[in-house]
Amino acid sequence: MAKDRSNGMDYTAPLRRLIVTVLVLVLAATFLIWRIDSPRVERFRAQVTDQIVPNFDWAMAPVTGTINLLQDLQSYRQLAEQNQELRRELRKMQAWKEAALQLEQENARLLDLNNVRLDPRLTYITGVVLADSGSPFRQSVLLNVGTRDGLVEGWATMDGLGLVGRVSGVAQNTARVLLVTDASSRVPAFIQPSGQKAMVAGDNSAAPPIDFLESPDLVRPGDRVVTSGDGGVFPAGLLIGQVAASPDGRLRVRLAADYERLEFLRVLRHYGTPPVSDTTGVLTPDGPRLLVQEDATSD
Amino acid sequence: MTDIGPSRIWARRVSFAALVLLVIFFNLLPLQTLPRSWAGPDLLMAFAFAWVVRRPEFVPPLLLGGLFLLADLLLQRPPGLWALLMVLACERLRGQSRSLRDATLTTEFLAVGSMIIVVSIGYRFLLALFMLDLPPLGLALSQLGMTLVFYPLTVFLTHALLGVRKATPGDYDSKGQAL
Repeated sequence: MAKDRSNGMDYTAPLRRLIVTVLVLVLAATFLIWRIDSPRVERFRAQVTDQIVPNFDWAMAPVTGTINLLQDLQSYRQLAEQNQELRRELRKMQAWKEAALQLEQENARLLDLNNVRLDPRLTYITGVVLADSGSPFRQSVLLNVGTRDGLVEGWATMDGLGLVGRVSGVAQNTARVLLVTDASSRVPAFIQPSGQKAMVAGDNSAAPPIDFLESPDLVRPGDRVVTSGDGGVFPAGLLIGQVAASPDGRLRVRLAADYERLEFLRVLRHYGTPPVSDTTGVLTPDGPRLLVQEDATSD
Repeated sequence: MTDIGPSRIWARRVSFAALVLLVIFFNLLPLQTLPRSWAGPDLLMAFAFAWVVRRPEFVPPLLLGGLFLLADLLLQRPPGLWALLMVLACERLRGQSRSLRDATLTTEFLAVGSMIIVVSIGYRFLLALFMLDLPPLGLALSQLGMTLVFYPLTVFLTHALLGVRKATPGDYDSKGQAL
């Protein structure tokens, strides 16, 4: 018996070792190819995700719903407290609503005066969040819209209120959205009302810090942070959030988008801002001298 | 005692694959889209180690490699690296499984726990070596700690619910040889 087994071991052990060696080499090669030619392997990853995750969809929605329901039940315990708080907030909100209505009327009047037409190319596609990144080290979500719906990599994604992230990785039926909170996310931004340019750099925390700020003294907590459109990835003027000072004195962005529940996201169609290459030809076909001459004759 | 035919082994292999897919499925549920300051346990690693220590023949290297590569792709990790480390670690534990068979849970926990720590450190080291973004230290440490804490629980689940137990002297494989 013991002899039999040792014979058996002699027969299987080299084969097993060969399989393991080949497997290890294949895995190492996969990693190295990814390190060298990341976009190609990332496309492959997107294809694999596209093949597998939508199949889970029928189970994902009900399970997510049930767990969220249970979490909500827990929060119902603090219902009375919440109710009080909501009443207080409602009172505040009514004041704001009044202000908003007045501003809306004023805005409509001003737009009418200026005959402004808002950018008609900024339309959007709405997608449902299928899955998240699946690990606490990465912040991204998977949407159920893809190249089938005309999605292009790099497009900005918002929920109803603010910027959520940008599309990074599109497959036939799914697209991955890299959230603003991810450690590899950088969004060029513009802080109003001081007009400072800065970079919102994700760092895996709920409130991403503001980097490359020229004079932080001009920025106050509560200022609005909007995309500046620099770099041409995002359209300008999308709301990111509000400035907040963290306890360590760093300026961070309190995001306007509701990150607690990302369910439906809008992907903005954006075909890039055309660069202005020559400064004078834009004004008139004949250059600026004509303008000067006109000025001279009118004098 | 029980006869473990090839069909039973294959049924167990399939059930391991199903278990891994279930864990990935729960990882992918979009429950928490706000970044967390702590990380849950890496259940895939814990289950793989618990199975490989108990019944190495249920988790052949090809199955482990394939499933962990799939997990790498779906969970946004550098593809291949974590799978490579897991295959090597499981092979190492497979070699020890014969001696761990008679060991107490404490000895097993020490062997597996040190392997979990070695794999985590090795992963971080390789990420740094290839100049990739390192995951935040706090998150990585909390994941390591949680995995260690949850390992006995996965052992219990594997043993009691899934019925994957260590081979006893009465067990024979399909060819009638003692395991």
